[in-house]
Amino acid sequence: MHMHKFEKIWLIFGVTALLVFLTVLGVSAFYLGNQPPSCLATVDPEKVDTTAPFNEPGLKKVEGKDWDYELVFVAQAFAYTPGDVEVPLGAKVKVIATTKDVIHGFEVAGTNINMMVEPGYISELVTTFDKPGEYLVLCNEYCGSGHHMMTSKIKVVE
Amino acid sequence: MAKAEMKYDTQPENEEHSSLKGTLASVFILGAILVVTWVGVYFLYLDRF
Repeated sequence: MHMHKFEKIWLIFGVTALLVFLTVLGVSAFYLGNQPPSCLATVDPEKVDTTAPFNEPGLKKVEGKDWDYELVFVAQAFAYTPGDVEVPLGAKVKVIATTKDVIHGFEVAGTNINMMVEPGYISELVTTFDKPGEYLVLCNEYCGSGHHMMTSKIKVVE
Repeated sequence: MAKAEMKYDTQPENEEHSSLKGTLASVFILGAILVVTWVGVYFLYLDRF
């Protein structure tokens, strides 16, 4: 098959880009252990209120783990519990969230915290709150008529 | 067309007839835009918590 020299150049470029992508993905998943926020952890959506850690939503200090705090959120139409929470600056926090009814979003605007919360599943994400300020938590999965009112607030304080 | 292809072995100067310079340029301009956006988003990700 005859192939123009330029065609070979951009095909090599494209195939290289694909290989770089797959390598990055593989290293991220299998070496660094990155996984989606909702990864096999489950909870009975009807017993969320009585199941730990969701029976006590909010920030809790933990010992002997890779993170210093656990921040537990329960979502339901059309609010989050807690509706307002303070996190100390520089704290390494595991955010743990689930929902009691339908699918909700859990996005902390202006940060990398952005998860889907699905009934029956626990979404988790570990991050270090290293910038002070007031952050808006909002639902970015349409969940019903009050969807646009569904917010919470995280204050990162010194 | 078929004839030209069959005669390819005896006509290597065929390459000179089709200029793909513009195509090459547009492919790499598009490639550069994609790479710049990937890298930009990656640094945005690193900058945020």
